[in-house]
Amino acid sequence: MRQLKLSLLLISASVSTAIAEETHWSLAPLSQPTVPVTKVSDSAIDAFVAQKLHQSSLHMSPPADRASWLRRVYFDLVGLPPSSAELAAFLQDESPQAREQVVDYLLASPRYGERWARHWMDVARYAETHGHDEDAIRPNAWPYRDWLIRSLNGDMPYAEFLREQIAGDVIAPDDPWATAATGFLGCGPWDESSQMGIQDGTVDKKIAQYLDRDDMLTATMQTFTSTTAHCARCHDHKFDPVSLQDYYALQAVFAGVDKVERPFEPDADLNGKRKRLQEQQQQLDDGTFPESRLSEPDVQAALDSWETGVRDQEQQWQILQPETVTCSSGSPFAIQEDGSILFGGDAPDKETYTITGISPGFRITAVQLEVLTDPSLPQGGPGRAPNGNLHLSEFKLLIDGKPAAIETATADFNQSGWEIGRSIDGHLESAWGIHPEEGKSHQAVFTLAEPVECVPGTAVKVELQQLHGGSHIIGRPRISISGESNPKAIAPLPPEIAELLAIPKAERSDHQRRALALAFVKMDTARQIAALPEPGMVYAIASQFVTKGNFKPAVTPREIHVLNRGDVLSPIGTAQPGALSCIPGLPARFDLPDTSDEGDRRGALANWLAHPDNVLTWRSIVNRIWHYHFGRGIVTTPNDFGKMGALPSHPELLDWLAVEFRNRGGSLKWLHKAIVLSTTYGQASDDRDDGLATDPDNHLLWRMNRQRLDAESIRDAVLSFSGMLDMHMGGPSAQQFTSSPGVHVTPVLDYQNFDPDDPANLRRSVYRFVFRTVPDPLMQALDCPDASQLAAKRENSATALQALAMLNNRFLVRQTEHIATDLEHQSVDLETQISELIVRVYSRVATPEELESVADYARMHGLANACRVIINSSEFLYLQ
Amino acid sequence: MNPALNRRDFLMRTGGGFGGLALAQMLGSEAMANTLRGGLHHPPKAKRVIQLFMNGGVSQMDTFDPKPRLDALHDQAFDPGAGQLVESVTNSPGFKVLRSPFEFQQHGQSGRWVSSVFPHTAGIVDDLAFLMSMTSKTNVHGLGSYMQNTGFTLPGFPCMGAWISYALGKINENLPEFVVLPDPKGLPYNNLGNFSAGFLPAKHQGTVINAGSRDGETPINFLFPPSEASHITPQSEDAGLRLLQALNRGYANRFPSDTRLEARLDSYELAARMQLSAPEVFDLSKESAATRNLYGLDGEKTADFARRCITGRRMLERGVRFVQIWSGPGGPSNNWDNHANIHTELPYMAQQVDQPIAGLIKDLKSRGMLEDTLVVWTTEFGRMPFSQGQAGRDHNGGTFVTWLAGAGIKPGTAVGESDEWGWKARKPLWCYDLHATILHLLGINHEQLTVRHSGIDRRLTDVSGHVIRDILA
Repeated sequence: MRQLKLSLLLISASVSTAIAEETHWSLAPLSQPTVPVTKVSDSAIDAFVAQKLHQSSLHMSPPADRASWLRRVYFDLVGLPPSSAELAAFLQDESPQAREQVVDYLLASPRYGERWARHWMDVARYAETHGHDEDAIRPNAWPYRDWLIRSLNGDMPYAEFLREQIAGDVIAPDDPWATAATGFLGCGPWDESSQMGIQDGTVDKKIAQYLDRDDMLTATMQTFTSTTAHCARCHDHKFDPVSLQDYYALQAVFAGVDKVERPFEPDADLNGKRKRLQEQQQQLDDGTFPESRLSEPDVQAALDSWETGVRDQEQQWQILQPETVTCSSGSPFAIQEDGSILFGGDAPDKETYTITGISPGFRITAVQLEVLTDPSLPQGGPGRAPNGNLHLSEFKLLIDGKPAAIETATADFNQSGWEIGRSIDGHLESAWGIHPEEGKSHQAVFTLAEPVECVPGTAVKVELQQLHGGSHIIGRPRISISGESNPKAIAPLPPEIAELLAIPKAERSDHQRRALALAFVKMDTARQIAALPEPGMVYAIASQFVTKGNFKPAVTPREIHVLNRGDVLSPIGTAQPGALSCIPGLPARFDLPDTSDEGDRRGALANWLAHPDNVLTWRSIVNRIWHYHFGRGIVTTPNDFGKMGALPSHPELLDWLAVEFRNRGGSLKWLHKAIVLSTTYGQASDDRDDGLATDPDNHLLWRMNRQRLDAESIRDAVLSFSGMLDMHMGGPSAQQFTSSPGVHVTPVLDYQNFDPDDPANLRRSVYRFVFRTVPDPLMQALDCPDASQLAAKRENSATALQALAMLNNRFLVRQTEHIATDLEHQSVDLETQISELIVRVYSRVATPEELESVADYARMHGLANACRVIINSSEFLYLQ
Repeated sequence: MNPALNRRDFLMRTGGGFGGLALAQMLGSEAMANTLRGGLHHPPKAKRVIQLFMNGGVSQMDTFDPKPRLDALHDQAFDPGAGQLVESVTNSPGFKVLRSPFEFQQHGQSGRWVSSVFPHTAGIVDDLAFLMSMTSKTNVHGLGSYMQNTGFTLPGFPCMGAWISYALGKINENLPEFVVLPDPKGLPYNNLGNFSAGFLPAKHQGTVINAGSRDGETPINFLFPPSEASHITPQSEDAGLRLLQALNRGYANRFPSDTRLEARLDSYELAARMQLSAPEVFDLSKESAATRNLYGLDGEKTADFARRCITGRRMLERGVRFVQIWSGPGGPSNNWDNHANIHTELPYMAQQVDQPIAGLIKDLKSRGMLEDTLVVWTTEFGRMPFSQGQAGRDHNGGTFVTWLAGAGIKPGTAVGESDEWGWKARKPLWCYDLHATILHLLGINHEQLTVRHSGIDRRLTDVSGHVIRDILA
């Protein structure tokens, strides 16, 4: 009997252990804990913290002095110090709303998004190069950074913020910024050697593809759910409920995408216009353009107005009647009635024509070259090569014997690689050609850099060098001149339009009218597309892209196998897209109607992650935000909420924040405000014997933690002290180094010899170009993380190399000189200068002793040296 | 005249104050430099390590691993039989066997085979222990280089030097614990990624030393104020550092429990000491003529690698824990990645390093340093037994050669072997085994040196690694 009881006891013990394992704290359902009643404040945050402190016989520290609080909240929310004026205004404002007004002001400032985007870039492993041995630059990684800044400044609801980073291109295909958001998946390293260089289908190539997806899923799961899913790549997770199958289900989510550039057009109107025109072009190309469109009034009106313009234009051209013609080969020629010159005889290999005419006397702004067809030419011409092609190597113009500079050249048709611009590039080996549009007349227009005024009788001489060889020679050229004041508006007409236009309007048949309208729409569509600015690009992920070497798009998802021990040579079955099996109430595998649509897979994961019942997601984000405000999370392992991660110091507070944040629409600005206006956050950071004795590491928050400024804040603050910080936002990153071609793909970077006063150095550090394998030595010395890894936390080192960097980095030294110059502009009195320096750097009034010692030093060694000392002092680097 | 030395002179001359304090401490710790810290888990055999990394993949069958079978099969299709998959990452199929164009001879008491490209190394084989069956997971440079340095093929992991720095800390407070001397022609594949601290604190990353730096450049970043900053004088520096330390002392006193503030005070004292001690390390003018000749410091081809080997030895003498010297930059040429022509490309590289490396071993031996200094010669992978183009060889992670010498190593030994073609290793040895052995000699159990990162207790040796006992003394 006793024995039986004992065994029952053992069974129940093991059952309860099993239950305990199933409900690890981070996976337990989210419910809103009751806020304890305390006297501290009406903030729930304070109530939870005070209750814990009370249980350990501790209490909060008194509030920090107002100046310290202001400095703290400025660096925390916007990454910059308050100006002297802002400090003075706050210290004078004794209204009860003063603090709240400051917080509202800072959260509304564009500087807020810049500051917090940089935190997120750590988490997202943001860099702008590939990071492997072929560490090539990604010139278009920055739109993701700009998306972060915009989204944070706009307080985008967190669920949306999350979903767009996983599948923005799928969720909102018409919003270019949503596509830029997927830069999150593309942020990580990319192995160009393996993906592009090595043979397709090899084991090394397959490994590279699996590892690249591993990077995407690791980043996704750590960032959004604080889960170490990547630990299940070779076997079921040793500590957390993540199976090998779960891991490969996540691999399958990303099976259709690769890290690559894709079009990104942030201007929505422009983007819409481009799409509409491209669709129209497509219809014109495949013959599906609706014929009814051609007779619609808008098309007809455009055609009429254009035709009138053409008539006017034609009158602007005056044919240059040839007086003298020479040709280097001595071919026979005949000047035609229409002013053209028809060459005959055996076509020589190469040729140069010189055609001289007499100007009737007006200013010349442009010259037109027509190359006309003729039945006597091969294939009808207009060239004398057997296929009727021609190559114009160089076009030269002499007016009154003086060379006239050509500014632009345009043609009605350009052979690929043989554009008209090549006839004015000064290189004889490059030329203009018209293949495969032989058998039609063509025109090229050359505009002069400066108009040339001519008196009647001035000689106008055109030289046509045709040195490509193979008889690529013009058969029947005609030259005209124009004095049009805006000669760039003159454009040659495609031959089929010119023919139709030649028929008087009233005489055109219905068929000809429709043909003209169609030809016009074709030409006009092409012209409008050409007039659009080059489409922008963003480095993100895509399933379709142009093949480069052995790097080919998946188009539809690649087949993903569950791999035994992570070995590509040991597949054990096909994986279906899905996520984790351990979240109560959420499906582990996605039920997709069409598994060949890769976008659906990412869309499903985005929804799974952002689901209100995904307990990990909501706990993860509020902890991450708390971590940055306090320098330590409620869970001190922000990327690992598993069994090997830390336990929450304040579990009820964490859940209260998670639920409240979620229910308030995922407003990060609400969360920031609730935290920074709490009494907990506003405490002084001074030592207290009772606190140090009971809780030396301050887990219970009996005081505020002192945080060291991060590398970006240090750099930006120094620029703000000198007044040189460039507040310009966004765009391509500022390269704060010189670069020269390296022996292979990776350029050679030089940070040391980069001009410290270069404008690129004055941008906020969030806009700094981040080079993965050659990081900035100053930022590295100040604990910028290795951008090849997700960095949930930053180190806080104090090394000799860091001291040397702070002392001797050229940029910092130069900035201390600029600070001194600025202070000297403000005042001629040394003590006033030092006082202002202390206010700017420490956000407080100088003590008489430090004023004296710093002024003494500055008197002996100059103000710039004094600024250098203050920039190196601990009080600058720490928030108290 | 080297401006760095000028700077040191003025720091010396200022006397008193900060410089004087630093100098006194520096001399103090130099006196203690031989009192090295013990191992982490057991008494160490090696107290310091110098690694010579041949960037690009040294051809094993043209240097230390002769394959007579290749002579017999020369120009025939390469067929390992049994339907084995033959892949070559940058080479088109139709692989033809390529014999070595170099002559092999046995050398020393141990009778090790060495080809004609390494005549000086041949003379010291009895000091070396060869690993003849090293294997890599990859045939790609970047990945292979990461693997040999960090144990992982991906970026972001700490390299061996960083792990050692993390585990054992500093010997000498005046110099960094882990220094890297890249080839002046350029950084290797992965650039600084090979010397990264990964997820360990950044202070453990390799400090890059530009040993071949020209006048006006300092060999360590930020060692001295920028030359254009004329307002910074010895006097301003001395008084400025004193003022700074007074301010920082006052601030630290306000928050006595915050050890980071004390660490900042220390860091500036260390910085000043580094300014004093570093330039002396790079000044080779006091090296004897015999030493210069031994390394080939005045030889046209050998001067650069000799300078870096001597500088490396001087750092080891002064208490640097881990020195890594690179031969060859990244990219397609001037390194050991001999795709086009083994016959011309390999001797060109070998001539640059052969005499300096043999010189280093002899020099360490004569100074009694080889007893507690571990020398490691490595590369990221080997090369193929068949040709690429007419006379080159493609990458081969299947087998390659590494050697060790010095502290705790049984000299004149060899373990492992490759197959008859030098295509794949029989009983492969991995970087995990090499790293486990190096850590073991430093008094570290590789399975116990772990750091929690992203949910995993990470090790230099991942989930593998066995100490290679057969080469231990």
